[in-house]
Amino acid sequence: MIESVAQDRESKLAEYLQLMRLMAFELDRAMKAIADNSLQALEDSVANQQVFSDRLGELAEDLCRPASERSVSQAKEVNSRLMEQIGAASDTLQNLNRRYSALLKHSSHSVALMVSLFSSFQGQMQEDSGTRFNQHTWSCQI
Amino acid sequence: MGGLSTSLLIGVEALQTTQGALTATSNNIANANTAGYTREVPQFSENQQTHEGNEVINGGVSLTGLQSVRDQLLNLQIQNQTSLQSSADTQSSLLQQVQTYFTTTGEDITSELSAFSTSLAQLSANASSSAVKQGVLSSGQNLAQAFNTTANGLTSAQSDANTQVTQTVAQINSLTSQIAQLNGQVAQLTAAGKDGGTTEDQRDELVQQLSSLTGISVMQTSDGETITTGNGTPLVMGSNSFSLQTTTGTDGMQHVLDWSGNDITTSIQGGQLGGAIQIRDQVIPGYLSQLNTLASQFSASFNAAQAMGFDSNGNAGQSFFTVPASGAAAGMSVSITNPSQIAVSSDGSAGSNGNVASLTAVLTNALPSGQTPAQAYANLIDQVGTAASGASTESTAIGQNLLQLTNQQSSVSGVSIDEETTNLIRFQTAYEAAARIVSTIQQLNTDTMNMMS
Repeated sequence: MIESVAQDRESKLAEYLQLMRLMAFELDRAMKAIADNSLQALEDSVANQQVFSDRLGELAEDLCRPASERSVSQAKEVNSRLMEQIGAASDTLQNLNRRYSALLKHSSHSVALMVSLFSSFQGQMQEDSGTRFNQHTWSCQI
Repeated sequence: MGGLSTSLLIGVEALQTTQGALTATSNNIANANTAGYTREVPQFSENQQTHEGNEVINGGVSLTGLQSVRDQLLNLQIQNQTSLQSSADTQSSLLQQVQTYFTTTGEDITSELSAFSTSLAQLSANASSSAVKQGVLSSGQNLAQAFNTTANGLTSAQSDANTQVTQTVAQINSLTSQIAQLNGQVAQLTAAGKDGGTTEDQRDELVQQLSSLTGISVMQTSDGETITTGNGTPLVMGSNSFSLQTTTGTDGMQHVLDWSGNDITTSIQGGQLGGAIQIRDQVIPGYLSQLNTLASQFSASFNAAQAMGFDSNGNAGQSFFTVPASGAAAGMSVSITNPSQIAVSSDGSAGSNGNVASLTAVLTNALPSGQTPAQAYANLIDQVGTAASGASTESTAIGQNLLQLTNQQSSVSGVSIDEETTNLIRFQTAYEAAARIVSTIQQLNTDTMNMMS
């Protein structure tokens, strides 16, 4: 029974580690998408991040739940190497998250300013016609 | 030094970069309705990152400049079509003026030929009537007057086209001078690493105006734009402009000379100048030539018929019409002054009207040109009408093509508010979702610490 609990915990920790690495990859991808002004890539990445963060939240809640002292002590022995890897992945993720947070803050600010600029523009707009080139007249990348 | 300092530096650069992009955007929006405005796109470059152990140093982004979105090929096509349309417009306008001298007014050549023919028919029926003879004399004078009026009208239209040549050359010189000045400014801005987009827009607008004045060829060179006429006469080279001059030629018309004094009049095509020169030097002279031929051949034929008969006094018939050697239509007049001088008699006897048939036959027989006078004149009217209608049709067709090209240019260089707004809103939504994930990851850090403790 205790072995089964330990194996289950190890399996969840492995998934937790994998998800943190995937999340780090997605944050990196999202920052690159913003730098490239690639809206579609950013939206795709944010959708993936949502899935990963939901699952990470569930796993964290599960793994932090109090267990019997014996099972915890046995699990600690089994997972010590895994826990080191999780610690390192967590540090990487936090660093990336701080950069991502700063990037979003600046970009959101510029987007908000631009939205306000567009909203406040009074006058006749001349809509273009014909085949448009896929070019943007603004950018908010950092 | 990495860590916080690097983050701060990246943050400052990011703010500056964003501010630059924002300025470009606001400028695009403000100029959404400005004619000739070319939208600008901020150009970014990624700063090099270096790694020291686990630390990342430098990085971030820089605004390398603002790039105007231009399609030079489209611009050239638009300039070319503008030139053609302007030429067609000018020709159409001048030909409409010419056409007014060929319309039926009751005093036009067609009407007067018909009236002259009627008066001769009356003479055939009543050859001894002085009143009828006076009628022939008067209608002959009216016919000569109609030739004079039409020829003078054509000369007047030619004179208007000539004035237009002088005025257009002055406008061209003014524009090339301004373009050269702007070329210099663009070169200075570029050398200083600054954005010359606005100045380039102003220059493009002036080049567009120039193309409506004359056909031009535009080349991009290291000095800026080099502009020549269609045959290669330089107008602008970098910051230097080369003025055209006008001088009165031996034909009394204004001739266009290049900066070195060469006469380039015949090589100018397109634009108002090309259109005016085409009408002045080729179209109107062509019509005048035909009108002169008609006046000359008709007068000669009628005079020959006169010479075959005898007047009321038994004298051999003298010339009815007089035409100068040059400018027959404008100078045509009736040379006899007394109705009795009309050579009605075929044998010199009183009461004979045998020569009236010869006089009348001039109006119904073919002239040396192969057509009767009425047919020859109708043919000329047809030519004028076809040319005027053709120029108008051409102008309309080129206008449609020009509209299509302008729309295409707008799709490249114009500002689409809808697209900008849609993208901004999508970005905002994505950022809001991303911000929620950021706080979740921060919470996860605490959870992971708890897990490991």
